[in-house]
Amino acid sequence: MPDDPIFNLEAALDRVEHDRETVQLMVEVFLVHGPTDLAATQAALAAQDAVALSRAAHRLKGALLQLCAPAALAVATRLEAVGNAGDLQAAVDVCATLERELRRLWAALREVLHKGRAA
Amino acid sequence: MSLPSPPAAPPTVLVVDDEPVARVSLTACLKRLGYRVLEAGDGPAGLALLRRERPDLTILDWMMPAMDGPTFCEQVRCDPAVNSSQILMMTGHDQPEQIAEGLARGADDFLSKAASHQELTARVQAGLRAATLIRTLEQATEEIRHKQEVLERELASAARYVESLLPVSGPVLPGVQLVHAYRPALTLGGDLFNIVPWGEHVLGLYLLDASGHGVSPALRSASLATFLRRESLLHQVGSTDPGVILTAANQQFPLTEDGNYFTIIFARLDLRSQTLAYTTAGHQGAFLHRRSGEVSWLTSPNLPLGFVASNTYHTVELPVTPGDRLFLLSDGLYEVPAPSGELWGRARLEATIRALDRRPLTEVISRTIDAATRWLGHDRFPDDVAVMGLELTA
Repeated sequence: MPDDPIFNLEAALDRVEHDRETVQLMVEVFLVHGPTDLAATQAALAAQDAVALSRAAHRLKGALLQLCAPAALAVATRLEAVGNAGDLQAAVDVCATLERELRRLWAALREVLHKGRAA
Repeated sequence: MSLPSPPAAPPTVLVVDDEPVARVSLTACLKRLGYRVLEAGDGPAGLALLRRERPDLTILDWMMPAMDGPTFCEQVRCDPAVNSSQILMMTGHDQPEQIAEGLARGADDFLSKAASHQELTARVQAGLRAATLIRTLEQATEEIRHKQEVLERELASAARYVESLLPVSGPVLPGVQLVHAYRPALTLGGDLFNIVPWGEHVLGLYLLDASGHGVSPALRSASLATFLRRESLLHQVGSTDPGVILTAANQQFPLTEDGNYFTIIFARLDLRSQTLAYTTAGHQGAFLHRRSGEVSWLTSPNLPLGFVASNTYHTVELPVTPGDRLFLLSDGLYEVPAPSGELWGRARLEATIRALDRRPLTEVISRTIDAATRWLGHDRFPDDVAVMGLELTA
């Protein structure tokens, strides 16, 4: 769906000159690495490590930017900012929001893969 | 028919990014553009690949674990083997001060992670153009360095040959000692001197100075020195008289097309008659330091060799006695400028010789060169320095 805040497939295709194979590969890679990166943000928060939290959020941000997932991207950007500010209290809610957004994104990505829309 | 040249290898681009989705996206774009792409998931692995593969361009993420982008750049710039690598830093940091920091720490250009495919293409092509120019420059520099090495080896070999033409210090006639010093301004000098053995009690000696410095004057000097060898003089001139010899040399060695010439003093020492006969051709650097302390400059105004083919050079004769010292030297010893530009000059040279008085001849020559060096302010003489000293000890 154009302008979908969860996953904008058209925008993702635009970024790679409509190379559907590349988008499919990016989606597959993110479905493997995304949960690991989310776990890293949660582990950093549990350890009260603002620097690690910021780095893990930054890494997610990079992937979300390429995938054109604006909703999750906005939350990851906010989480990196609160990590940089050392505001671990605020990070609790943002981290929870990020998890919700990522779960919605992963579902959307699986659906795209399932329907073969990227390939 | 010439064979078609093999197709050029595509440029190699190294992508260093710890985030796999971004790496997949970027790598795919670069491959579509026809480039060979290498990937590294962190800074240390990227650095190892860069050193091994020497990619034409490296696209680097700023924020990575283990080694961030700016540190990666610093490591590259510190390594002489790869410090000219082109690095395009990709970052979400787009604040001017952050870009300035990245450039200061060694990145060549920046690209936002949100940049479009068109902008990415343009930046990569610009980076590759710069890389091509740098490679071309490096290859040209290496070629010049190699040629310079070959040339220097050849010059050093030629210099060894020229030095092999110089006489050996020590006794040259019964009771006559020779000491000399030779300091070419470049590897090869245009000054040359030697003795010509003419018998048990007679010898010829000369010091010549070919105008200019380097290979051409050295070759011309060697050519004149060959003419001045004993056998050559007996065959081609048939006389030991300095004036006759230089008159013949003047006809043999005209000015070159570039206007180069020789100055020379040629002398004959005869122990039986206790005389020194000499002729100069534009050469002013010769004097007798008498045992009495008197210094007599050997000057007989005449043109350098090669200017007028019909010129006749006349011989001047002086008595010599045991204890006298004869010095033949090139103007490179006394026409040395102080940092102010003032020349040391023959008067200061003479005063130095007088002050050293009867010290051993070797010491007189070395300390005189030291005095000229002090005046100069360093030890790189601008002109060739040649000094030949002869002492009548008997």
